[in-house]
Amino acid sequence: MTANMSASGMELGRADMIVSDGVDKWYGDFQALKGVTAQVAEREVVVVLGPSGSGKSTWIRCINRLEVHQGGTIAVDGVELTNDTRNIDKIRSDVGMVFQQFNLFPHLTVMDNITLAPRWVRKQPKAEAETKAMELLERVGIPEQAAKFPGQLSGGQQQRVAIARSLAMEPRIMLFDEPTSALDPEMISEVLEVMKDLARGGMTMMVVTHEMGFAREVADRIIFMESGEIVEVGTPEHFFTNPTEDRTKLFLSQIL
Amino acid sequence: MTMTEPSASRLEVSGKPPFYRDVTVVKWLVQLATLFTLIFITWFLAREAGDNLRAKGLTSGFEFLGQPAGFNVSEGIDTEPATGGRALWVGMVTTFRLAISGILAATILGILVGLARLSNNWIVNRVGSVFVETIRNIPLIVQIVLLFAVFGSLSRVELDSGPINGWLHVTNKGVSMPRVFIADGFYQWLVFMLIGLVVARFVRKNRIAAQEATGEPSYSGLATLGVLLLFAIVGWFIHPVFGFIGGPLQAISDGIANIPQVAVQVALTALAFFAAALWVKRFRDSRRTPAGMAALTDDDWFRQIFAFVGAAAAAAFLWLVWPGFSDWIVNSSSDLFRVLADKFGDNPEFLDADGVARDRDGAPFGWARPDIVQPGNFANYGDQGLTMSQGFAAVFFGIVFYTAAFIAEIVRGGILAVAKGQSEAAAALGLSRAQALRKVILPQAFRVALPPLGNQYLNLTKNTSLAVAVGLSEVVQIGQTVISQSGKSLSVFVIWMSFYLCCSLTISVIVNFFNVRMKIVER
Amino acid sequence: MSSSVVPPNLTPEDFEVEYSEEASLPPEDPSLSPSVWIQKNLFSSPSSAVLTVVFSVIAVLTIRGLLAFILGEERQWDAIATNSRLMAAQGYPLDQFVRIWVAFGSLIGLAGFSAAIFRASGTISLKRIAIWVMNIGVAAGVIGLLAPLSSSGRMGWIIAALVVFGVGAAIWFGFGEERRRSTFIPSIWVLSGFALIGVISLWVVPYGHYFLGEDGRATVEEGTVAFSTQMPWTVMWAILVVSHLVGLAVRDRLPAQASKGFLGLLWVIAPFVANWIILRDPDFDYDHVFSTDIPMALAFIVIGGAVLWAQSSSTIGETGRLLAIAILLAAVYTWVSRIEFLDFLPNWSMLQKARLSMLFLGLYGLAASNFSRDNATRRAYVAGWVIFMVIFHWLVTAVNSPSTLNIQSDTYLGGFTLTLFIAWLTLLVSFPIGVVMALGRTSNLPIFRLLSTGYIEIIRGVPLITILFFFANILLFFLPEGMEIAKVAAVVIGYGLFSAAYLAENVRGGLQSIRRGQFEAADALGLTTSQRTAFIVLPQALRVSIPPLVGQAIATFKETALVAIIGLNDFLRIANNTIPAQTDFVGAKREGLLIVSAIYFVVAFSMSKYSQRLEKRLGLGTR
Ligand SMILES: Nc1ncnc2c1ncn2[C@@H]1O[C@H](COP(=O)(O)OP(=O)(O)OP(=O)(O)O)[C@@H](O)[C@H]1O
Ligand SMILES: [Mg+2]
Repeated sequence: MTANMSASGMELGRADMIVSDGVDKWYGDFQALKGVTAQVAEREVVVVLGPSGSGKSTWIRCINRLEVHQGGTIAVDGVELTNDTRNIDKIRSDVGMVFQQFNLFPHLTVMDNITLAPRWVRKQPKAEAETKAMELLERVGIPEQAAKFPGQLSGGQQQRVAIARSLAMEPRIMLFDEPTSALDPEMISEVLEVMKDLARGGMTMMVVTHEMGFAREVADRIIFMESGEIVEVGTPEHFFTNPTEDRTKLFLSQIL
Repeated sequence: MTMTEPSASRLEVSGKPPFYRDVTVVKWLVQLATLFTLIFITWFLAREAGDNLRAKGLTSGFEFLGQPAGFNVSEGIDTEPATGGRALWVGMVTTFRLAISGILAATILGILVGLARLSNNWIVNRVGSVFVETIRNIPLIVQIVLLFAVFGSLSRVELDSGPINGWLHVTNKGVSMPRVFIADGFYQWLVFMLIGLVVARFVRKNRIAAQEATGEPSYSGLATLGVLLLFAIVGWFIHPVFGFIGGPLQAISDGIANIPQVAVQVALTALAFFAAALWVKRFRDSRRTPAGMAALTDDDWFRQIFAFVGAAAAAAFLWLVWPGFSDWIVNSSSDLFRVLADKFGDNPEFLDADGVARDRDGAPFGWARPDIVQPGNFANYGDQGLTMSQGFAAVFFGIVFYTAAFIAEIVRGGILAVAKGQSEAAAALGLSRAQALRKVILPQAFRVALPPLGNQYLNLTKNTSLAVAVGLSEVVQIGQTVISQSGKSLSVFVIWMSFYLCCSLTISVIVNFFNVRMKIVER
Repeated sequence: MSSSVVPPNLTPEDFEVEYSEEASLPPEDPSLSPSVWIQKNLFSSPSSAVLTVVFSVIAVLTIRGLLAFILGEERQWDAIATNSRLMAAQGYPLDQFVRIWVAFGSLIGLAGFSAAIFRASGTISLKRIAIWVMNIGVAAGVIGLLAPLSSSGRMGWIIAALVVFGVGAAIWFGFGEERRRSTFIPSIWVLSGFALIGVISLWVVPYGHYFLGEDGRATVEEGTVAFSTQMPWTVMWAILVVSHLVGLAVRDRLPAQASKGFLGLLWVIAPFVANWIILRDPDFDYDHVFSTDIPMALAFIVIGGAVLWAQSSSTIGETGRLLAIAILLAAVYTWVSRIEFLDFLPNWSMLQKARLSMLFLGLYGLAASNFSRDNATRRAYVAGWVIFMVIFHWLVTAVNSPSTLNIQSDTYLGGFTLTLFIAWLTLLVSFPIGVVMALGRTSNLPIFRLLSTGYIEIIRGVPLITILFFFANILLFFLPEGMEIAKVAAVVIGYGLFSAAYLAENVRGGLQSIRRGQFEAADALGLTTSQRTAFIVLPQALRVSIPPLVGQAIATFKETALVAIIGLNDFLRIANNTIPAQTDFVGAKREGLLIVSAIYFVVAFSMSKYSQRLEKRLGLGTR
């Protein structure tokens, strides 16, 4: 087991949940990821920062195999992400993902959105899945919306449903790809509250976001990427107060 | 949901998974399995068909194309075709006639009706929409059959009848009107016109350059037209000077005829593989970066393999499936040049159907009026007027009305789609209504309307096959006759398919050409 | 300057559907006085005035010519009246004609009931109704004025026109502006109101009743009511109204999803039941049924059910799927091998039944792992198989039994009934194939994409008639020895394969409108490809494709007329070939063809209008 522990994992005294080792990804002749190496420990919250087009989305989508990486290895909870369907299924069911555009299913009610996967993938009986779904809706604060269609909800509510939908599969890791970027300012905080709550509950999380406040408050570590490479890794304190790399400084000066 | 013991659920997996769990392997296995199942089913059905046909004493094959047809065709370029192939060709030409004239007429009528439907005038608008709604909601076949019956109920052909006697006759034998036809001197004159076109292009460029240089109007359009007119008129009188072209063309024809079949086979095969190799090279180049070769996905590999599979299929076709294909290409291109050669010069060996040698010094064009040989019948073909038989007229008007109704909707939709913002923008620039329509709205509307318009042309061409319902001898009807004569149903079906696919492809290519051109203009 | 303007984003499909009427009409301003309206819409400029005159003359001449033709002395409309039964159902035996009515009545009842359950009926405002009625009055007036009538006939038409127009005007003025706009009536009631007028007219108006007498000549019984149809039509009308009322009454008490699904199933099997059970009336050989058919069905139900139960257990894993594939392969093998390993079965059709059942068992079993949740789900899954097998074996046995009807050939269907039947079956055949082809063409598996694209493009490149010729004449050669297939069935298969290619393109439009995020969300949740397709992709894609699909259905219905060319006796062929060949009505072609055109027009036109309303109601693009 010790072999699987990275520096960060050992510091925290926990095992690594996500190991990304030299991951390469090509789009045609464009290399979007260039040997990305990093680890995320159990119950750790990692925020990924970087300018647009730097490969943040590509990286976390590779972890869920929404994109197929072409070089290096990705292992989630000790399971290596290979062509093996069994591994893919295992990782998909261990990893939940929340998208920038929510991607709720518009033709299904909120309840059906949440129970669909537990019923058909986890093979839970309908009643059980619905009880669970109601619990989750209460947890994200919108139990009264269960019978509505996604089109009838506000953006913040939709994103909270999307989070509930992922949680219904009881994932051990949650990936967030700019979950608040498509929201109006007044709805951002309600989604961030839910995420903070999750982090407090001990969920392992990888979050791509431009919410610096969230990063500072919740993140255990911050990973900074640029043009497909990891430039700098560190605690929020280190990152925001005295970054070592020039590129990081430039980025921070632009957004802060 | 607290996880204190993560190692409990860990799978120790390393190395390659077994093949049935490997996504890439499974993905290709499933595809290949489906492909081979389909090939197997086709093979199985073909075997059954072969057995059944043999049991019934029928054979498939294409020999009938070269054997005597054994039937006459009621109308077309040749009413007594010598061979089955010739008979089918007669039908194809009738299909072409219907399709080309139909496309022209339907486009004109369709644009008019489309504009009528946009008119502010209430009654014009209503007449337009009643036309469109009625025509669109009745099956074309019913309309054709009805038109046929209506033509059949018209009065007999008489020497002194017709709406305009001697010029236009609408009768139970169809419609007859004057026509212009290509006469003996045409091809020599055509050479003149081709030279004229080249010169006109040159003049046009020159004039436009002059305008850009000086800023003064240089009348480029007028000059181009003048040059063309000059060549047309001069060519009309002195075209026989090009009579000598016949000789070289004949030489080319003879030269082609001497090419051995194997040479063509080898050349075409080499060409196919060369094209595949070229494609693969281009593809790999596109994936090469300064830092080295990009990682290729399994789909990328499939494309490269598929390029060579395509080339191999072409080779198999040339050598195994239809070895005669190369021969056919040689012969038909040689024939093409021979026929062209015969169009030039006074070749005493090349006689008209009436046994008269052609007069190469004659005019390029001639014209003729309807000719009634006896009460009850028009004179058909030859130098007489343009006569559409009852069946031809029914099909022609049927497909023209039907397609025009759809084209009208496309035109209207295209104009409406552009008109809203654009006409205001144009008006703001101070263009007049007519200018706005011509310079701003119509070009853009045309761009929007072109793809669906192309679709309608395809439909029209396919719809000519409904002529079989009124016994007009186009390619499907003649194919049917061939089937009933020789029983070669499978072969005729293959010919039908190839013929219509070629037509569809041609139209798509033409429409695409304009589409691409227009996109370039837009940028 | 134009480069800054976003080009209109239209796809070719946009042109297949009709544009809303309102866009073309001059905006209606109720406050306009008639003279101002005429000035504005007819004589706004000199050129407009010229156009008005020219087009008015064209319109008047066309209407006059048409009316003169229809009402001409020498028209043989008796040809149609005498042959109306022929055109409706061709040579169906007279003494069994009640079967036609029963079949028709069941469909009408199903339609009325479904309209209530699916809430398919739109509403019409009183204002529109008033305009309609007045328009009918105007039309009657035009006929009265333009048609070559006797002076008393002209008077009659004009009086009728005035009365109808008066009714319309009464509705218009009887309600205030506010009420006529805001009072809506379900269109199904308006429709049945108009239908009621037609039905009542059967009882009062002495439509001539003609029949072919002993001597083969048409005999006219003057002054009699069309007594052979007045009763049936009244019953049909009553069935429509009652079934709709029942539907309205129960719809809130039924579970919505389940009842819709059940009705959908009914619509799918309705053409089979109507045709092979009601119309063809199978003459079951009960010895054979009890000795062979039922045992075989039971065998498949019991053994198949057990196999499926095992396959859907949660512990079986991949073995279940392998078992299904093995069954499939075995089924295919029995087909291609000529070894009659099932030769204890008495005849070919039995063998076919067994092979098909096996094929279905394999296919059905492939989905088993999706239902391994709990025993209730597994039971529902197996019950689906049992129901399917019962229906399947019953239908196939019925199809394979001789008919009790006294008919010479297997073409006991004809006329309009045949047209409807072929159109319906074609839609049923083409739908699944089209959806599969569309999925193939949009899939990311290259070989599937190539195959589907090739299929779609080749089929779309050739005319329907050649495909029909192929299937009517050549298909026979491709079948294994001993297997026979009726011409109608061959035509339906060919036509279904043809329209599947077009349908696939419509569905593809819907599939492409689905955002990539939907696929990704489904993947991230761990749904399998087939679950993703069935639960996420197809439901959304099909909803978007409804308008073009309705357009496609209309086109399919219209092109059914082509079967006349290959010698099936649909009503076009009867009008074009059969009637003009009767001694009494030699050459009476145009009358029949006009009627055929009119029927096609009414059906196609109302379907396209309905689809426009549907499109508006679905509010496409808003969701
Ligand atoms: N499907 C694709 N095909 C080709 N190139 C792609 C594709 N997806 C992403 N890219 C490219 O890969 C690079 C990284 O994209 P990615 O979406 O990961 O950036 P990002 O860091 O998430 O940016 P943002 O903050 O804007 O979301 C970009 O340059 C993008 O253009
Ligand atoms: Mg991103």
